[in-house]
Amino acid sequence: MASRSKLSGIQKQVLSLYRGFLRTARLKSPEERHRIESVVSAEFRENARNVDRKNFVYIEYLLRRGKKQLEQLKDPDITGLSTLEINKCPAGPTVEKSPIAN
Amino acid sequence: MAAALRPAILRRIRLSPSPLAAAASAASHPHALARWLSRPMSSHDAHLTRDEVVDRLLEVLKSHPKVDPSKVSPEAHFEKDLGLDSLDTVEVVMAIEEEFKLEIPDQEADKIDSLPLAIEYVANHPMAG
Repeated sequence: MASRSKLSGIQKQVLSLYRGFLRTARLKSPEERHRIESVVSAEFRENARNVDRKNFVYIEYLLRRGKKQLEQLKDPDITGLSTLEINKCPAGPTVEKSPIAN
Repeated sequence: MAAALRPAILRRIRLSPSPLAAAASAASHPHALARWLSRPMSSHDAHLTRDEVVDRLLEVLKSHPKVDPSKVSPEAHFEKDLGLDSLDTVEVVMAIEEEFKLEIPDQEADKIDSLPLAIEYVANHPMAG
């Protein structure tokens, strides 16, 4: 990975989004927090490994999708993220509403 | 009664040299007085020592799942010495926030890539607790 002093703008956006997810996870219950952290970390790492660094169009798409999911996750009624078999789920993690809110 | 006592009280106060000295000193060092006045109410009284900051930061780093604790030193660079990538570094900086009850803005967080920089940031942060 490139030296930290050379983080590109798009890398900074990705790290900022990751930070946003981790910050939001802190606001949930400890179990949910742990689950959100695992799912988010797995998703970011999977994309970091598999997505071509120069595929800006796709990275921009992932950033937009991630930002939308983060906005949903910030809703206090949303308790957490869930994924079913990440590899077979092209849409990525989906947000989960708490049973109380339904 | 109060009226009768007033001159006596005023005379006593005027004769006492120490309040005058204090007032003079306060006038020439207004910030010193402000500091002294705020002291009993300040929550930063027990400001962290640098050693304490270093010790707690070393512990945060050693507890990260990807870090080999034997490689952690106050001079360590997250990527070069500890083998962390940029996502790990975000996790480490977030853990530092929690340890010291801080919120580090993105711009600052992006710059913290080594223990020396983390130590510098936390030790100079007035709200670090």
